[in-house]
Amino acid sequence: MKMPRPIDSTLHGVTDYTVGTALLTFLPKRVDIDGTPAGSQIRAAGAIHAGYSTLTDYPLGVVKAIPFKAHLALDAVGALALAATPFVIGQWKKGLKQWVPHVALATFELSLLAITDPSGKGDFHGDVEAVRRANSENPQRKIYEGPLAVRPGSATERAAAA
Amino acid sequence: MRANVWSGRNTVQVENVPDPKILNENDAIVRITSTAICGSDLHLYDGYVPTMKRGDILGHEFMGEVVEKGPGVRNLEVGDRVVVPFPIACGNCWSCKHELYSVCENTNPNSGLAEKLFGHATAGIFGYSHLTGGYAGGQAEYARVPYADVNQIKIEDDLPDEKVLFLSDILPTGWFGADLCDIEGGEVIAVFGAGPVGQLAMASALMMGAERVIAIDGYEYRLAMARNKAGATDVIDFSVDPDIVEQLKELTGGRGPDAVIDAVGMEASHGHGALHAIDRVKQANRMESDRGHALRDAILSCRPGGIVSVIGVYGGLMDKFPTGALMNKGLQLRAGQAHVQRYMKLLYEHIKNGDIDPSFVITHRLGLDQAPDGFETFKHKQDDCVKVVLNP
Amino acid sequence: MSNKAALTIACPRAELERLWRESGYLDGVAASVRFADAPGDRGTEIHVTLERGAPGGKLGEALMKLTGREPLAKVKDDLRRFKQEVETGVIARSDSVPEGELAERKLKQRPAHPLDPSEPDKAAV
Repeated sequence: MKMPRPIDSTLHGVTDYTVGTALLTFLPKRVDIDGTPAGSQIRAAGAIHAGYSTLTDYPLGVVKAIPFKAHLALDAVGALALAATPFVIGQWKKGLKQWVPHVALATFELSLLAITDPSGKGDFHGDVEAVRRANSENPQRKIYEGPLAVRPGSATERAAAA
Repeated sequence: MRANVWSGRNTVQVENVPDPKILNENDAIVRITSTAICGSDLHLYDGYVPTMKRGDILGHEFMGEVVEKGPGVRNLEVGDRVVVPFPIACGNCWSCKHELYSVCENTNPNSGLAEKLFGHATAGIFGYSHLTGGYAGGQAEYARVPYADVNQIKIEDDLPDEKVLFLSDILPTGWFGADLCDIEGGEVIAVFGAGPVGQLAMASALMMGAERVIAIDGYEYRLAMARNKAGATDVIDFSVDPDIVEQLKELTGGRGPDAVIDAVGMEASHGHGALHAIDRVKQANRMESDRGHALRDAILSCRPGGIVSVIGVYGGLMDKFPTGALMNKGLQLRAGQAHVQRYMKLLYEHIKNGDIDPSFVITHRLGLDQAPDGFETFKHKQDDCVKVVLNP
Repeated sequence: MSNKAALTIACPRAELERLWRESGYLDGVAASVRFADAPGDRGTEIHVTLERGAPGGKLGEALMKLTGREPLAKVKDDLRRFKQEVETGVIARSDSVPEGELAERKLKQRPAHPLDPSEPDKAAV
C-alpha cells in the first residue's frame, strides 16, 4: 500500500514553527532538563530548525531561498543528528532525561517526514480527471472566449429612466 | 433523497437522507433543479466554522420547482419556479421591515449559540452550521423553504437555470458589496479576490458607473476572467509582486482607490512574510480564527476618506487590525451578509434586460454525485475552476 | 450570573400585554415581567427579572448552564418563542432543532438533515 502523505507544505511549515518555538521556549523546562547541556541542545535544535524554516521556499517562508525538498533533507539530517548527540558525546549515561527527549523528538520529526508530501501539495484527494470528463462546461472557453458579460453604466441608466 | 453531507474536515459525501417535510404552515418544499458550491462552503469544508455535525447537508445557493406548500403559504403555487435566497427572513420583524434581511430576528432557532459568539443572533442560513440555525442545505434533491412567502423570487420566463441561479447568493452579494461603496460615477474601485463573488462585485461596480475596477488575485486564470468577462480595467497579480498596497498606489496616481471591496474573507492566502507565517500557524493551532490580510491591506490601501466594503465571510477574531489607519484616514468600514431579498427583484430585471449575465462565472457543471470531487477541485483551484454548479 | 433578560417585539404595548397574558409563557416561574414602549417604531420591550438565583450555589449554576436547564436560559427561550409567534405566527424550526429554540438542545443537536419518517412527529402542522 502506498504511504499516504497528507501533510502539504503549508501544514509542514505550521509544524516547523510550532515545534521550533516550543523547543526554544517551554519544552526544556517541561521535561526538566533546563540548564543542562541536554536542554541547550534541544533549544539549539529548535532555533536552527525555525531558522532555516524562515529561509525555505514554501508558503510560510519569509525569504524563499531553500527549496522544500532540501528543507525536508535538512529535517532528516537534523533529526538524526539530534538523536545521535547524547550517545556520541556520552551524556546518555547520565540518565534517561539526557537522551529520551532527543530520541523522542527525532522520532516525531521522522514520522512527520514520512507523511509529508515532498511535492508540497499534500492531501488533495479529488479526481480531477473524473471532473474533467463529467464537466459539461468548458472552463477555458468560459474564461478566454466570448464578449464581456456586463454592460457598464447600465444600472445608472435604469435609475435615471425610472 | 440524495444529498451532499459534511462528514468531517475536508470530507463531504453524497448519501441517502430522508426527504424534507413541512414543519410549519408557512413552509414550502422545493424540488431542486440547480445548486452550486460557494466559496464560503470552503470554510465549512476546511473545518474553520464551529458547530458542524456529521450529516449536515451543505449548500445555500439553489433553485427549483415548488412541489408542496403548507396551508399558510399565500404567494406561491405548486409548480412555480423559484430561486431561494440564502438568508432566511421572516419578513415581519423590525430588521426585515427595514430591509436588513440577513439579520432577521426570528429565524434562528439556535439564537443562544450565535449570541455567545457575536453578541446577537442573526438570520438563519441554509446549510451553514448550527450557529446559523442548523437548517438543511440545498446541495440535495429537495429542500424545505421556511417563511416561503418571503424567501423566494418567482421566475416567470424561460431563462435557463444558469442565468438566474446566482440570484440566490453571489450576485446580490457582489452587488451589495458595490452598493456599500456609494458609487456615483467616475470612481476607482479595487476588489480583493477574483472568485465568483469578486467577479460579480466588479461587474456590479461597473454597472453602477465606476470608471475603473482593479481586480486583485494570485491566480492568472481568475484575473483573466476578471478582465475578459467582468470588465476589470486593471489587474494585480500578487503571486508576481506581493506588495499590493504599493501597486494600488501606482495604479491610482498615488491617491489610493476610492473604495475597496474585500471579497476574500477569513482564509486569505496572499499574505507574505513573517506576518502571514504567524497568522497561518496561529490559525492552524486554533489561536486565531480569521486570517485578515485582505482586510488589513484593504484598509491600508484605501484612500483617506474612502470606504472599505467587507463581503468576504469572517467567523471570529483576527489579530493586528489596523485601527490607526482606519481612524486617522477617516475610512468608513461597512460590512454584512448580503440582504439578498432586498436586491432580488432589481437584479432579476437587470438580467432580463441583458445588462449582466451572471452565468459567466460557471466553469464546471457536474452531477450532484460528483460533489466531493467538485469540492476538491474548487478548493485547490484545479482545472481553471472558478464556480461549480451541481445538477441533482 | 445575570438574572435579567429583555427582548423587543414589534407590536403595540396594549396588544402585546394582552397576548402575553393569553400565552401562558413563564406561568409558574418566579419572575417579574415589565413592559415598556421601545423608542421610535420599534414596538414594545419586555423585561424579565428572575426573583431568585439558581439553587446549588456556583457549582449548581455551572451544571445548569451546561445542561441547559439554567432558569435564565429557559426564560430567554420562552421570550424568543413568544416573539416569533407574535411577529410571524410560527416558531422557527430547523431540521436540527425541529422543536424550535430550546436551551437543552444546544449540546445535543440533530444533524442538519430532514427527519426520518420513523422519528417521532415533531411538526406543528
